[in-house]
Amino acid sequence: MADQLLDQVRDAVEGQIDFEGQRWAELITNVLLGAVGIFAFFIGFMAQDITLTLWIGLAGTVVTFLAVVPPWPFYNKNPEGWLPPHVATSGIQNIDVDGQKVG
Amino acid sequence: MHSTLVRVQNVFGFFTTVAFSVAAVIALSTFIHPQTPKATVGLRNVQVVRGRPHYYSYKREEYAHIKFDLDTDLSTLFNWNTKQVFLYLKAVYPSTKAGEPDSEAIIWDAILPGAAAPWHQNHYIHPTPKGTKKPKNSKASPARSHMPAGIVKLDNQRPKYQITDISGKLQNRTDVRLELGWNVQPWVGALLWENWQDYGMWKGLQGGKSELFNFPEIGAKSAKKEKLDVEKGKEGHRLMAGQEQPRKNN
Repeated sequence: MADQLLDQVRDAVEGQIDFEGQRWAELITNVLLGAVGIFAFFIGFMAQDITLTLWIGLAGTVVTFLAVVPPWPFYNKNPEGWLPPHVATSGIQNIDVDGQKVG
Repeated sequence: MHSTLVRVQNVFGFFTTVAFSVAAVIALSTFIHPQTPKATVGLRNVQVVRGRPHYYSYKREEYAHIKFDLDTDLSTLFNWNTKQVFLYLKAVYPSTKAGEPDSEAIIWDAILPGAAAPWHQNHYIHPTPKGTKKPKNSKASPARSHMPAGIVKLDNQRPKYQITDISGKLQNRTDVRLELGWNVQPWVGALLWENWQDYGMWKGLQGGKSELFNFPEIGAKSAKKEKLDVEKGKEGHRLMAGQEQPRKNN
């Protein structure tokens, strides 16, 4: 019981996502932060108010953190399956050691 | 990007890159903001007196007390990246030895805040011109200058600092002039000094230098004798030449 609970806590903290999700996370980080930087500069420049640039930039960064850091279900849509298990009784076949079949 | 910690590190790492790039672009953006600073500086009165650097000093030095007129339009120095402008007026006079650079001493200065700068007690508050009514509820209004940023119009202004020379001798020195100078302190980017030449959209300072004059003899009749008061800024306690009083024990 305690082990199960600990496993759940560890999974939540580690927040692992699948390979496809990792690709997306990287892309979203770059696009979102880059766009926020450009947007913040132009809004501040139009309004001639540098505090606007600061706050828009920081708000956009917070949004990016929220979008990318937690392991949202979106990032786990393509889980990598395990290899099919071998039946233990069938034994290990076709193992090649230095050109000689063993087993 | 497989775990939470790695994602935090990646996002924060790219955030620093973006923040630095935006800051660099902001610093460069000020170059397309035209600057046309103008200033007129005039001498009102100059007196030289003998004094001592502080109350307990045995050293006698000569101090110049310079009253001046100043009329500036530096409003174009204030763009979206200007935090504050440190404005100062200096007396420039040739050194006693030939080949040495001119001596410079600041007689008056002011901190002019930009639009986004939060209130600070050291900011310059422009004196109210004569004939204008003061707002009745002066307590309610924050202590801000009612002049637009960069506009300074001072008539017969007392100096903030009496100046002396490293030699301690100032009387009968010739070819003195008053010269305006400033530092533009930006939010991000480089600290800038006044410039006399044109750089692209930035024009050099028009005027900003007074006519040449001489420091008179001590007690000279040509100089109008006036009270040698100095203007006190908002900088709180400062040591003033000859004005420090001994503490009374009672």
